[in-house]
Amino acid sequence: MPDVKCDHCHLVFSDSVMIHDGELHFCCNGCKGIYHLLKDEGLESFYTKMGEATLVPPTRQLEPSENFDSPSFYDRFVTVVSQDLAQVSLIIEGIHCAACVWLNEKALHKMPGMIEAHINYTNNKARLIWDPKVLKLSSIIDMIRAIGYNAYPYDASMQEVRTNKERKEYYLRMAVAAFASMNMMWIAVAQYAGYFTGMTQEIKTILNIAEWVLATPALFYSGWVFYRGAYYGLRNGAVTMDMLVVTGSTLAYCYSIYITVLEKGEAYFDSVAMIITFVLLGKFLEVLSRKNAADTLDVIGKYIPSEVSILDGDTIRSVRVSDVNVGDTIVIRTGERAAIDGEVISGEGSFDESNLTGEADPIFKRTGDMIISGTTSIDALLHYRALKDYAHSTLSHLVNLLENAMSQKPRIEQLANRLSEYFSSTILFLAIATFWGWYFWPHSFDRALMVGISVIIIACPCALALATPVATIVGLALGAKRSILFKSAAQIETMAKATMFVLDKTGTITQGRPVVVYATYHASFDQGTLSALVSSSKHPISLGIVEYLEKTESAVQAGGISEVNEIPARGLVGRSNGVMIAGGNGLLMQDMGIAIETSSDKSLFYYAVDGVLCATFELQDLPKENASKAIKTLQAFGLRVVMLTGDHEASAMRIAREVGIDEVYAHVTAQEKADFIEKGHNEGHVVVMAGDGVNDLLALACADIGIAMGNGSDIAIEVSDIVLLNDSLVSLTEAYAISRRTYGLIKQNLGISLVYNAITIPLAMMGYIIPLIAAISMSLSSLLVVGNSMRSRWMYK
Amino acid sequence: MDSWVVAMMLGASLFLGGIALIAFLWGIKTGQFDDAKRMMNQVQFDDEKELNDAADQQKKKEVLRKKEYRPE
Repeated sequence: MPDVKCDHCHLVFSDSVMIHDGELHFCCNGCKGIYHLLKDEGLESFYTKMGEATLVPPTRQLEPSENFDSPSFYDRFVTVVSQDLAQVSLIIEGIHCAACVWLNEKALHKMPGMIEAHINYTNNKARLIWDPKVLKLSSIIDMIRAIGYNAYPYDASMQEVRTNKERKEYYLRMAVAAFASMNMMWIAVAQYAGYFTGMTQEIKTILNIAEWVLATPALFYSGWVFYRGAYYGLRNGAVTMDMLVVTGSTLAYCYSIYITVLEKGEAYFDSVAMIITFVLLGKFLEVLSRKNAADTLDVIGKYIPSEVSILDGDTIRSVRVSDVNVGDTIVIRTGERAAIDGEVISGEGSFDESNLTGEADPIFKRTGDMIISGTTSIDALLHYRALKDYAHSTLSHLVNLLENAMSQKPRIEQLANRLSEYFSSTILFLAIATFWGWYFWPHSFDRALMVGISVIIIACPCALALATPVATIVGLALGAKRSILFKSAAQIETMAKATMFVLDKTGTITQGRPVVVYATYHASFDQGTLSALVSSSKHPISLGIVEYLEKTESAVQAGGISEVNEIPARGLVGRSNGVMIAGGNGLLMQDMGIAIETSSDKSLFYYAVDGVLCATFELQDLPKENASKAIKTLQAFGLRVVMLTGDHEASAMRIAREVGIDEVYAHVTAQEKADFIEKGHNEGHVVVMAGDGVNDLLALACADIGIAMGNGSDIAIEVSDIVLLNDSLVSLTEAYAISRRTYGLIKQNLGISLVYNAITIPLAMMGYIIPLIAAISMSLSSLLVVGNSMRSRWMYK
Repeated sequence: MDSWVVAMMLGASLFLGGIALIAFLWGIKTGQFDDAKRMMNQVQFDDEKELNDAADQQKKKEVLRKKEYRPE
């Protein structure tokens, strides 16, 4: 059958699986619903605006939207703007194209009572202002969900506001500095032309005054950050690069005013603006590439339930998580996340504990079992007694640890910063020495001052300031080409200094899903029935069997079964033509009285028809392609490579042997992973952690560099510093190689600027530097640094 | 050429450039460049209907602003 496009999400599927609706085709009822809703609302022009983009089909929503109307939710996220207006900040999930932004804004604006809905396309954050008397927040959320997106709130925190303000501030200062120095350039052309061909003092003064006008905002507005930096540096007793920039440019500025007013000699206004612009450019690049920690914490907020249902006598009421007392009875329903630790008192069902342990298998809980906060109920409806309050529960504990780790991330001091300190003090000392030397030699005061200033100007920190940002930007570009996303430029240098790589097993070294490696057929049976049986489950083992059957038995036609039941932690039982069929693990077979005699370190899946064992499948999580090669490369660099896993010893050892890792720790919980990394720090290692799951979060945040896999959980991607978009371990080694190379480039650049200074500073001290040469050399040293970085980019393709 | 011509031309061009700079700074300050991705795509959705919608939205806001100030 031909493949057709779904009319809503534009994904292509085989015609046979599509829902036909007249001329239209839909891949699922969700898409169909949205399509008709948009049509009814008069928003169908969305599809023309969307163009070639594709969407993700809508998924089932777990958290009911009524929660958004609860008082506790309001307390936490909603701010009251005025009597009639409330404001909330949301993160909207599922925005893929500009048309998505358009659609959301239009749909929200159509709701009566909505005053303002503004969505930021870059970070998917929305700010809504509405009238709560007319419109309920839950209806707003329902609308967003109805058109195929999802929204969750975040605290528009102070930190975010501050980061954005800082960015904007630099933007403004940069704009002024760029304007001033660019205009200065064409005035300087006239000046230098006049210097060689002769020009009247009158014209010279006019040009000087024009430059003065331009240099003033550049120095005092754009350069304000340097004055501030120099002041704070001095208060801490350090001579920083800011100090050098400030002294050099301020002295040059004052001297130039003196020249302009007395109408003799050459002014240095152009140098003032140039220095400020170049050094500010370096800072600006740094601020732009800084990771926004606030964004990360916002995403974490989504994982914390804001309230729980407690049983109060016979009634169930919702209370804030912080109001739950030890001993309260908490009700947890399907799909809800536990916020409080406790013990089950009635009911049963399975829980997803992968957040904490990394194990994908659901854990079955019944009366007397412990509920750990942070885990999610898959199918359980049960009552449990709170053993701790929220502040002492595992989830809150983990969130606190995570927040601490994010804010106290170890910072490896950057080479350029350390270097610039020595450099600045040396230059200032030399300049002062030069001035006194010339003054006592003896020369006139202004001759001595000019030579002294020329030392500072020629020792232009521009090249030094640009050395790191330009090199890291080249590194970022190299990474991006190989689908390696460095989230923060400063981390490249840290990565290059790494001495220890800690890798998670499931999903990082391995593919993260079991694959059938061996199948034994004991008796003949109908594969179609087996296929139908396993297809009914979403358990990873079942998916592995389905994949295997599709691959080996080309003409399997699934079907012919009825009444399938999934027995937690056992397997599947169904009926086919009146005969009982069962597929599952050893426990299921034992329960049914079927004799099995294998024990294996692999996961086993048995299939029995009418009490007779027909087939045994051995499943294994296999290492990713090239995993062992990548690990060998890392070891060849002399790095310590460690594997951590929440999985059991046997399978951990097997994978480790296969890929060639000697140091393995099995049965490790989320917290222990982080502790292990802390231990590495204490031993003096610079630790890189690679992982993909929620259970790796803490470790990712604690490590000097956290690396997430592109198909890992969204929160792991948020917390990490580097994302490997193609999930490959080879990219991991490439990320390391690129970092090393970039770090080498930084060193080269710093070397170039130092050598440059070593040549020109003695010349300046001897008084050979005229303004023209000073200006040319300044640009030349910066050009050398930028050119060297570009060269590296071309050579390393 | 008298030197006042140079002075005047310099002054005039710096003045004009200054106006452009101030306009740009105003743009940054009012958040028009905050959302780089959106800024680049906004032109696609810039027909008459959008303008009408924007005008309606403006009116709605005004009405509510007035409502707020009404003494109760």
